[in-house]
Amino acid sequence: MSVLRRGVFLYGLVAHAVPNDRPQDRPRQARAELEIVLGQRKLLQRLVPGLMHAFIFWGFIVLVPTILMAMVAAVDGRAELPWLGHQEWFGWLSDVFCVLVLAGVATALVIRKVVRPERFRGSHLGEADFILFMIAGVVTTLLFWHASAYAAGLYPAAGSLSRAMAGAFSPDTNADRFFLWAHLVFIFTFLWYIPRSKHLHIAVAPLNVWFARTRAGGRLEPLRFDLPEDELRFGVATAADLTQKEVLDALSCTECGRCQDACPAYATGKILSPKLVIMGVRDEALAQSGDPILGHGVPEEMIWDCVTCGACVEACPVSIEHIDHIVDLRRSRVMVEAEFPAEAEPMLRDVERAANPWGKPQSERADWAAGLGVRVLEPGDPAPEYLYWVGCAASFDERARTSAEATARLLQKAGVEFAILGPREACTGDPARRMGNEYVFQSYAEQNVSTLNEQGVTKIVASCPHCFNTLANEYPDFGGAYEVVHHSELLARLVREGRLAAKADARPITYHDSCYLARHNDVRMEPRELVAAVGQPVEMQRSGKQTFCCGAGGAHMWMEERGRPINAERVREAAETGAETLAVACPFCTVMLDDGVRETGAELRVADVSTLLAESLEA
Amino acid sequence: MKVVCFVEAGDDLSAQAVGFARSLGEVRAVAFDGAYQPAAWAKTLAAQDADAIVAAGSDRGNELLAHVGALVGQPVAANVTAIAGDVVTRQRWGGSLLEEARLHGSPQLLTVAPHTQPAAELGEVETLLAEDDGSPKVLERIEESSGGISLRDAKVVVSGGRGVGSAEGFAIIEELAGLLGGAVGCSRVVTSAGWRPHTDQVGQTGTKISADLYVACGISGATQHIAGAKGAKRILAINSDPEAPILAVADYAVLGDLHEIVPAISTELRRVSG
Amino acid sequence: MRILVCVKRVPITGGKMVLTADAQALETKHLGFTISPHEECAVEEAVRIVEAAGGEVVVLTLGPGEAEEQLRDCLAIGADRGILLETAGEDWDAQATAAAIVEAVRGETEAFDLLLFGNESADAGGYQVGIRVAHALGLPVVTGLKKIEPGEARVRCERDVGGARDVYEAPLPAVLTVLEGLNLPRYPSVPGRLRAKQKPLARTPVSPAGAQLEKLRLSVPAGQGKEAEILGEGAAAAPRVVALLQELGVA
Repeated sequence: MSVLRRGVFLYGLVAHAVPNDRPQDRPRQARAELEIVLGQRKLLQRLVPGLMHAFIFWGFIVLVPTILMAMVAAVDGRAELPWLGHQEWFGWLSDVFCVLVLAGVATALVIRKVVRPERFRGSHLGEADFILFMIAGVVTTLLFWHASAYAAGLYPAAGSLSRAMAGAFSPDTNADRFFLWAHLVFIFTFLWYIPRSKHLHIAVAPLNVWFARTRAGGRLEPLRFDLPEDELRFGVATAADLTQKEVLDALSCTECGRCQDACPAYATGKILSPKLVIMGVRDEALAQSGDPILGHGVPEEMIWDCVTCGACVEACPVSIEHIDHIVDLRRSRVMVEAEFPAEAEPMLRDVERAANPWGKPQSERADWAAGLGVRVLEPGDPAPEYLYWVGCAASFDERARTSAEATARLLQKAGVEFAILGPREACTGDPARRMGNEYVFQSYAEQNVSTLNEQGVTKIVASCPHCFNTLANEYPDFGGAYEVVHHSELLARLVREGRLAAKADARPITYHDSCYLARHNDVRMEPRELVAAVGQPVEMQRSGKQTFCCGAGGAHMWMEERGRPINAERVREAAETGAETLAVACPFCTVMLDDGVRETGAELRVADVSTLLAESLEA
Repeated sequence: MKVVCFVEAGDDLSAQAVGFARSLGEVRAVAFDGAYQPAAWAKTLAAQDADAIVAAGSDRGNELLAHVGALVGQPVAANVTAIAGDVVTRQRWGGSLLEEARLHGSPQLLTVAPHTQPAAELGEVETLLAEDDGSPKVLERIEESSGGISLRDAKVVVSGGRGVGSAEGFAIIEELAGLLGGAVGCSRVVTSAGWRPHTDQVGQTGTKISADLYVACGISGATQHIAGAKGAKRILAINSDPEAPILAVADYAVLGDLHEIVPAISTELRRVSG
Repeated sequence: MRILVCVKRVPITGGKMVLTADAQALETKHLGFTISPHEECAVEEAVRIVEAAGGEVVVLTLGPGEAEEQLRDCLAIGADRGILLETAGEDWDAQATAAAIVEAVRGETEAFDLLLFGNESADAGGYQVGIRVAHALGLPVVTGLKKIEPGEARVRCERDVGGARDVYEAPLPAVLTVLEGLNLPRYPSVPGRLRAKQKPLARTPVSPAGAQLEKLRLSVPAGQGKEAEILGEGAAAAPRVVALLQELGVA
């Protein structure tokens, strides 16, 4: 049958794609299936559309046996499904869920036709309408079939609604045969249509949720460069380069647009829409034309706008991981064609030749610590308890520096034994990796792991969430296994243990969650503990996992921004809380939001939680 | 010592070279007529009776002396700032580093580092003859109708670095430069990022300026950039980082965000000029 | 067209010059290295010419073993073969450098049509090596070029002279020295880098003759470490700045 052929084709797309390489956690995967698929958790992030879908979805699950019943009855009108066909509670349940499904369809129609949310811009609305029509058709014919079958005495276990409706049918017409066949026509048409439409998600989405990351959320999958030339893969140029998860992602997309709504680039007038990226990848994957994806399914400009904040991934109800697609598309442009926004070239050259994206001499890397009595490790020195990974920003940028100075002083005050690498601390390679230059990233990963391992480092505290993410989640791929904490986690613990005594005053402070902390790494509580220890916390609307990016990620710290600035958008949101202080836990956020404050003229002081804590101790 | 000094009329650097040459001994200032033909002119220079041959550390000066050195098999010390007997002090890294070196042999061949010596009167200039020996020479000169003030000759240069942030960000730099009748410059990061053309680049490998005032906005002050800027009589740095290296070579500084400061200066300029 | 490009490995210095204790060299312990900017453009130009007209690009450097890194970078953007004249890392003066290069050129089985150099190296800045090599090989030389257009038997080139361009011509084979701004060097692709690892690179140990320009010591000029007069902070400093501008006679 055509459905089978289509199924084989789709299976082939996934099976022949590039295998993924990620650490997984069976228990968490199972939990994800329960929460996200069965429990519809991500969909319910928006209550009304969530319930709408949940009704239809749960309805579909409950009503699956009715399809079997229909097939049995088609063969022999008198036969019934063994056991279940006789259960009155099932007949009642069928009726309830038929109503809920229809309520869901009606709600969906109201949303699509009356409310018309922005997130559907670019989606195929006609296809969605047809699907809703088919769902309504399946369920309505089911109800009518049950009703007329009850009237004809063929389905005694029918539910109350069916019985009520049965009054319209006289027992000796063949109404039940008519509605049964109508029902089967709807079902088989739908079955044929499903693998050719976005409704395929009903089969693929549960798989996609199963294979989504459950560990090391911020880790990108590495490429291998030690293979013969014809086996090398440099990210994604054509659909043949997609990984299995990327193909599954593309096939799971329902064009719901929640990712588009969440995207800070889209929100500030750039053309990037994560939804359109996935739809474009899907079109190219299905077409198998051998064309490059960029410039065909996906406009090239889109991939450079991305700040890798992960808001799209967080919003997606079917666990599509858009960042992988975007970075893989970047990788091919950067590493093979060497075509990318010109303003990023100095950064890439500096990371490679000067070991930091600022292009400043590494010999000056520890200058910020001069006079602070911070131990700088020399080769052969005994390993410290904590290696304080300062990061390029704090080493070379004057605004980010204050946080490093504060952190060093706080650790000293609390009696934590730590040291820094100084000039031997090279860039973790994060900006190069996010830009797409995996090759340069790996050379630094190997170099840094070698330095850290030779020095006998076991525990690392990092100020920068990007460094933190790379050290904790990405360096294990290169032989670096360390216990890595973010400075806010360590400082919060010290405050909890009483080793640092802060005094909270009355000023309102709002905390901006860094994407690489809150979303990619689930660090949300500890910075808040520090804020609460020094002032009165007040939350922005988009906080925690729903945080709105500062705009520096995805190497955007070094790239130009079209459209309205993301950082100004976030600063406005912060100012609306009425807070006077905007607390951050990231050097990039510090710089971007401070720039945003200057641009918008907001009355806000941007300061790292470490700086605020240090000031509170001195007060 | 008999010193022959190659000069070009009307060239500041030649005037500086002559003054330096006079500290070595008796100077004959010489020049050539006709189309520039370095190898041929160098043959004539090499044939002069001299204990030292000197020129300015300009493009042509360095080139001519290099030819002379190759012809007579003698070392050439380029961009010299001082000499004592056979020990010269010369510039490395565009002037950010100095080298003391012994110049072996005779004649002593050296070029004078630009803007390190006071200018002197050229005095009498002999015109020497050079036979066309078929080596490459200037065939024609194409004037560039670029309009605007050339970076090399501008009295004021307003320059932007990484801190400007984007190509569009240079609008405020252009505005200030326009108000001061000056040229727009930039650092190497800016040209690598594609925000300005290489012709705007001030630096060791770009244009070396000799303005009265150099305004460096958002430029950290890498030595290769300073090498191009130090020809300016005065440097004003506008930077948000009080530790930026440029502050160690600038005469004046304003600390803060150039995006606020530069427009404010333009506004104030307009206000006082009525 | 067979083109030889000569490059030099130099440190990336940043904002300060720090010398070794014996004042003989820059302290390069934590510095990255690159090739001089003029030479990057020379390599790019050579690769472009050969991409268009066919031929071979050979890159040569005189330097320590680590200079292989710079040669591989050149091979990554399209040069075909590398020659490393390997020293022990000491300074070589222009005459010795030129002599070593001339010997290497004479050692090649086929002659080069073009020999490209940077106008001057970023560090020593002697402005001589290209010209000395040309004299030794009996070739015409044009320096300081911003544009080169090689033909069948001649090359036309242009040089900036403050607001105008001087045009030269030379018969091939010729030596040309170029300046940054000649072109925009490409960013190397990763396949290019991987292939570069396999491209042929010949190492020949060399030792210098006695230096004719003999380095005695290095020093940092006194001008650094100035104290800039702070005119103010932020936009509020504008009036003081304008007063200064008027004082200097530029406003």
